[in-house]
Amino acid sequence: MANENQTQYSLDEAVDFVIIGSGSAGGIIAKELSTNGFKVVVLEQGPFRAAKDFTHDDVSVFLFEELQGGGNTNNQQTFRDDASKVAEAPQRTPAFYAQTVGGSSVHFTGNFWRLRELDFNERSLLGPISGTNFADWPISYAELEPYYTRVDWEIGISGEPGPNESFRSRPFPMPPMPIKSSGVLMERGAKKLGLNAQVEPLAILSQPLNGRPACINCGYCMGFGCEVNAKSSTLAAMIPDALASGNCEIRAECAVFRIETNDQGRADEVMYYDPDGNERSQKTKAVILSANGAETPRLLLNSASERHPDGLANSSGFVGRNLMFNSHSDVRGVFEHPLNDFKGVQVSRMVHDFYETDPARGFYGGGGIDARPFMAAYPLLFSLAGARPEGPTWGADYKQNLEHDFSRTMFLFTGGTSLALDSNNVTIDPTYKDHDDDMALAYFLQDRAFEIMQAAGATHAWRNPIQYQSQGAHLLGTCRMGDDAASSVVDKFHRSHDISNLFICDGSSMVTSGRGQPTMTIMALAFRASEHIMAAARNNEI
Amino acid sequence: MNREALTRRLFLQGSGTLAGSMMLRAGIPAFIAASQAACSANEELAAFDILSKAEAREIVAIAARIFPTTDSPGATEAGAVYFFDKALGSIFADMLEPARGMLAGFQAGVTPVYPGASMFSDLDESDQDDYLRSVEKTPFFQNARLMTLIGVFGMSMYGGNRDDIGWKLVGMDGPPHAWASPFGYYDAEYLAAQEQQNGE
Repeated sequence: MANENQTQYSLDEAVDFVIIGSGSAGGIIAKELSTNGFKVVVLEQGPFRAAKDFTHDDVSVFLFEELQGGGNTNNQQTFRDDASKVAEAPQRTPAFYAQTVGGSSVHFTGNFWRLRELDFNERSLLGPISGTNFADWPISYAELEPYYTRVDWEIGISGEPGPNESFRSRPFPMPPMPIKSSGVLMERGAKKLGLNAQVEPLAILSQPLNGRPACINCGYCMGFGCEVNAKSSTLAAMIPDALASGNCEIRAECAVFRIETNDQGRADEVMYYDPDGNERSQKTKAVILSANGAETPRLLLNSASERHPDGLANSSGFVGRNLMFNSHSDVRGVFEHPLNDFKGVQVSRMVHDFYETDPARGFYGGGGIDARPFMAAYPLLFSLAGARPEGPTWGADYKQNLEHDFSRTMFLFTGGTSLALDSNNVTIDPTYKDHDDDMALAYFLQDRAFEIMQAAGATHAWRNPIQYQSQGAHLLGTCRMGDDAASSVVDKFHRSHDISNLFICDGSSMVTSGRGQPTMTIMALAFRASEHIMAAARNNEI
Repeated sequence: MNREALTRRLFLQGSGTLAGSMMLRAGIPAFIAASQAACSANEELAAFDILSKAEAREIVAIAARIFPTTDSPGATEAGAVYFFDKALGSIFADMLEPARGMLAGFQAGVTPVYPGASMFSDLDESDQDDYLRSVEKTPFFQNARLMTLIGVFGMSMYGGNRDDIGWKLVGMDGPPHAWASPFGYYDAEYLAAQEQQNGE
């Protein structure tokens, strides 16, 4: 799949839509609009890789951040945890996302939790939280459910219903991936504690779908692209149809730096650097911004003009605010016998018994716990970072521990809520410090995970230290949707309140963070947004 | 260069490259592997592109203490030094000069502590371990550890992890990395119990 056989549009002739970003949202919207007859140009800053380009090369993928633009030496993002500090460029890229056609859906792990009803109206259920921008969504789970179902069937999700999830209008399209030893151990531990270990829904095919093959259980999901297209990225599931429509041109290695508006206040031109570094601009009738929760607000702020001195679509001042990473913690354990958890997908079982906020805990939030090999899927990563906390880091004993532990290690990984705060934001780069409740939740879930690990029979178990996060792969909330134009950036149909032909759909649209796995929701929002955008276009309402 | 020398050079430099892997799969290499085993250490060291003989000897010694040969293969058998050589001429080329400076500083500390020894590789293993412990917080040691571990566990196309020694050591069979359930002890036990239950 390369550029040469694609439809090619003239820069000067306005296309129906320019979509900025080809990831979880942009890839879906490109497919939906183009297969329905609209002329679409997609601008993607990363290269156009195909399945054959994806390897198991952990040196390139982990050490050199091959899929994320080559690391922060190239990206030069800065980070600070407080606006009073000078932002500095750390070694690791703070807003961590893939730069490639398909975006982060290419390198994600594939855990695909739906949100539950309570995620959409938790503010009404719990009341306000002082000092935060905690709010209800302008839509309900019931409104989004048909689009979750489209993700299940059109993107390709394997799984089976569990005891702790919201209603679904259709069953999963295919059975779950095989249970792993980590899943068995989690079930064992959970059962002893009276908890429910349920199947992890995955954006990974257990059976062929739409010409794509089933997973071969190679184990290289987390951080890697899938070499057989069994991982349900938009690259595998959506982009081929978009290109086949003849209406979609994907311009890879084209980094957008500005959206221009005309005298009528409409977005009519998108400025970008082409692969050779030349400035280009594409005329368009409308713009859809799906660049992720960090790049979307950055681009809006960088598109400030006399007419829009605070950045595009920012009359509310909410562009870039409320960045949410999801809170995280983990526990690791070593078992008597080999789990060989490096084989197969990362996660086969999860516990969602702590999903809801319980006021008795004294803090807001909830989340899930899943069982996975994490770094024990990759020998190099494990050798660099997987030594026992109390053990040596080189020499014969270190080596003996590695030989023993690699195949016998399980991680319990927690994902939970983050609260929306003014002080956590993207101006040009991220400023972020977890809220006290987010930290309390991370410790709470880690303690529950530790109990499960012990109940599962680990011979050794450790809590990994919890630190304030300085890097996020979940980039949420920075252009939230809402009915009130004074406190949100887009309406419930993803149209910006300020500019009628500018739509924004990606992680930035989310009002709350969910419990740790946002991509399923971003994809459902993209299917829903596409439907409304197309209806508006057909009615000349853009 | 005669054909035999060329083949040997290709093997020594490129056994982990795609070409090397293809040769291995084609079965040619039983012969080449036998020749390689017969090579003396000095002859092998002559085959480096970037490292001098003396540098290579030091790196072999350091890597061998970081990831030693015990009752199982270590950095030496994995050919970690070949990763150093290849990487310092490619992916870590910008580290070459700093690394040489750090190595010189590392070596300069040997004689004052162990009079009579001018190189780390001259020391016996116990003294080597003591000396490494004394420098383990230094950037040189941290980089040496990083590169040794990549040389053991990175993909063999980078020069180390010969015959996937590193992966086999931790229980992972080599490529193609495609597996079928059951994967491990506990899921095998679980599925067998389910099967038994279903059969009853």
